[in-house]
Amino acid sequence: MSGLFGMLSVAARSLEAQRFGLDVVGQNIANVNTAGYSRRTVDFAALPPTSPLNAGGGVEVQGVRAIRDALLDRRLWQERPAAAMQGAIADALSIVEVALGDPGASLDAALTEFFDAWGRLSEDPTSTTARQQVILKGEALATSFADMTGRLTLAQRDTDTRIRGVVDQINALASEIASLNESIAKGVAMGTDVQVLRDRQGEAIKSLSELVAVDVIAREDGGYDVTFGLGRPLVIGASDFQITATPVGPSGLVTLSANGVDVGGEITSGVLGGLLQVRDTLIPGYISRLDEIAYAVATEVNTRHQAAFDANGAAGLAFFDPPAATAGAAAALAVNAVVAADPALVAAAATPDPGDNSAARDLAALRDSRVMFGGTATLHEAWGRLVYQAGTDTQVARQEERTRREIVMQVEALRDSVSGVSLDEEAAGLIRFQRAYEANARFFTTVDSVLQTLLTMVGR
Amino acid sequence: MTRISFQTEFRHALADIERTAADLMRRQREVSSGRRLQAPSDDPTAAAGAVTEHAAIGALDRYAQAASSVEARLRLVDTVLGDIIEQLTQAQAVATGALGDTPTPAQREAAAMELAAIRDALFGDLNTSFRGVYVFAGTASTTAPFVRNADGTVSAYQGNSSTIAVDIDRGREAQVTFDGGALVQGGDPQDVFQIIETLRADVLAGDTPAIEQGIAALKRVFDRAVQLQSEVGADQKALETGAIRLTSEKLAARSRLSKLEDANMAEAISAMSRAETAYNAALGAAARLTRPSLMDYLK
Repeated sequence: MSGLFGMLSVAARSLEAQRFGLDVVGQNIANVNTAGYSRRTVDFAALPPTSPLNAGGGVEVQGVRAIRDALLDRRLWQERPAAAMQGAIADALSIVEVALGDPGASLDAALTEFFDAWGRLSEDPTSTTARQQVILKGEALATSFADMTGRLTLAQRDTDTRIRGVVDQINALASEIASLNESIAKGVAMGTDVQVLRDRQGEAIKSLSELVAVDVIAREDGGYDVTFGLGRPLVIGASDFQITATPVGPSGLVTLSANGVDVGGEITSGVLGGLLQVRDTLIPGYISRLDEIAYAVATEVNTRHQAAFDANGAAGLAFFDPPAATAGAAAALAVNAVVAADPALVAAAATPDPGDNSAARDLAALRDSRVMFGGTATLHEAWGRLVYQAGTDTQVARQEERTRREIVMQVEALRDSVSGVSLDEEAAGLIRFQRAYEANARFFTTVDSVLQTLLTMVGR
Repeated sequence: MTRISFQTEFRHALADIERTAADLMRRQREVSSGRRLQAPSDDPTAAAGAVTEHAAIGALDRYAQAASSVEARLRLVDTVLGDIIEQLTQAQAVATGALGDTPTPAQREAAAMELAAIRDALFGDLNTSFRGVYVFAGTASTTAPFVRNADGTVSAYQGNSSTIAVDIDRGREAQVTFDGGALVQGGDPQDVFQIIETLRADVLAGDTPAIEQGIAALKRVFDRAVQLQSEVGADQKALETGAIRLTSEKLAARSRLSKLEDANMAEAISAMSRAETAYNAALGAAARLTRPSLMDYLK
C-alpha cells in the first residue's frame, strides 16, 4: 500500500518537473528577441530508490542553467571596438567630404577665377573694370578659404559634441555595470537566480565595448571589473569611475580625464577612439593643409604684387594681408583693405609704366607654378591632394569597417550558436515536455486505478 | 553541430538587406545623376584627378578667351597696317609724279595737298585704339602716340619702345601693342610725318634730288610696315592653329574628366540592375525567415 502511494508521489513530482520544463521553454520563446538573453536549459536528475523493492524516487529539477561561452563573449567585446571605431571615422568624415565640395565647384573654382581675373587684367592692364574684377575675385577666394575652414571647424565641433554624448553614454553604462555587479554579488551570496542580471550585464559590456575598448576581468563574486586605456579603472566592483569631459581653451573642445589624468591619448579604439582621431588628427590635418595652401597663395601673390607697379606708377602694396604664420592663414586670408578700396593700387606692371602688363601675366601664370610642397605641386594640385587625402581616409575607414563588422558578425553568430534561442529547438522541447507530462499523467491514473482495485478488494 | 538561432538568422538577413540596399541606392544615384563620383571616397584618385582636370580646363578656357581677344586686336592692326601701306604707296606715287620739270606749279600744289591728306590719314591710322588702348604706343597705351601740333604738323612719337604681349597658351604669347616709333622712324633721321612735311616742301620747290631722297625714305617706312604686317599675319596664323590646338586640348581634358567623374551609363545601368536583383534576393531571403518551422506542426 505504501509503495503505491509512493508511486503517486513519484508521478506528481515528475508532472511538476515536466511542467517546469515547459515553463523554461516558454521563457526561452518569450525572450527570442531579447538582446543579450542567453537560452536557459533545465537540468533533471533521477532520484535513487529508498529500498530494494523501490525502483526509484522519480525525477527532480536540479536547476536552470543559462548557456554561455565566456570565451566568445570576451572575443565579441574585443572585436567590436575596432569595427565601431572605423564606422565612427567613416561617418564623421562623410560630413567632411560634403564640406570639401565637388571637384571644379569648390575652392579650386575660386582659385581658377582669381587667376582668370589676373589673365583678363593682363589683356587690358589699364582697365578699371579688370582691376576691380581682380579685387572681387581675390575677395571671393579669401571667402572660399574662410568658408572652407569654417565648415571643417564646424565638423570638428560636431565631432566634439558627439564625443561629449559618447562620454555620457560610457559613464551611464559604467554606472549600470557597477550597479549590476552589486546586485549579482548579493544574489550569489543569497543563492538567488542571477542569470537575468548576468544577461543584462553582458549586454551592457557589449554596448560599452562598442563605445570604447575595454579590458574585462571576472570577479570572484560573479561581477566584472572594467578598465580602459592604460588600465584606467572604469568599474571596480560596485564602484564606477566616471570619465570627465572638460571644455578647454578658446576652441571649447573637451579634454577627457579620469581621476584627474588626461586620458584622451590612451583611447585609440571604439566609437570614442574614432571620434577623437577625427577631431584631433584628421580634421586638424585637413585644416593645416588648407592653411598651407592659403599661406602660399598670400605670400606668392604678395611677393609678385609688391615687386610690381600699380596704375599710378608706384610700387605695389601687399595684395593680401600678409599672414602672420601658416597656422590660421586660411581663416585670416583677406584682400588688403587699402588695395580693395582703390583698384588703381592693383599692380599689373613690371615697370612704372601703367600700360605694362608683365606683372599681371606673371600673377596669372602662378596657376601653373609649382609653389607647394617644395616646388612639387601647383596650388590646384595641393587642393587635389587634400581632397585625395580626405577621400582615402574615408574609403579606408569604410573598407576597414566592413571587414571588422564581418568578423563581429561571425563572432556573434558563434555566440548565438551557443547562447541564442532556436525556435525549432524550443518547439522540440515543447513536444518533449508535453509528451512526458502526458505519459506521467497516464502513469498517475494507472497507479490510481491499481489503488482503486486494491481498495475494492479490501472493502469486500 | 552549429545551432542556428533566430537572432543569427535575423541579424544576417538584416545585414544583407542593409548592404544590398546601400549598394542599390548608390547605383541608382549613379544612374540618375550620371556621375560616377558622388564623393571623393568613391575614388580618391579620380577625385584628385578631377580637380587637376577642372583646373586645366579653366586655364584652357582662359587662354581661348585671351586668344579670341588678341585675334580681334590683330585683325584691327592688320587692317590698319594695310591702310598705312596703301597710304605710303600712294605717297610714293604722288611724289614720283612730282619728279622732273614736267609738273606745273598747280600740279605741284595739288601733290603737296595730297601728301598732306596722306599725312592726316597716317596720323589717324597710327593713333588707332582698341577699347581705349592705343595699339602703336608701346606700353604707353593710354597716351596717343602722335598729337597734332598747332601748325597742323604731327608731333614726334609720344609712346615708348616696350610692347604689351598677352599669353595665349602656356609658354606662348602674342604682341598686342606695337612700337609706333620703330615703325614710323626706325633708324632714319626723320619719322614718316617729318619725311612727308619735307617732301611737301621739296615737291613745291621742284627739288628732284630731294624728292628722290624723300621717296627712298618713304620706301623704308613702307618696308617696315610690310614687315610688321607680315609679322602680325604670322601671329594671326599662329592664333588660328593655336585655337584649334586649344579646342582639341580642351576636348581631351573633358574626355579625361568624363572618364573620372561620369558614369558609364551602360555599365551603371547593368550594375544597378544587378544591385536590384541582389536587393530583391535579400528581401526574399528575409521573408523566408517566416519559413515553416516545427511550431507549425504542433497541434
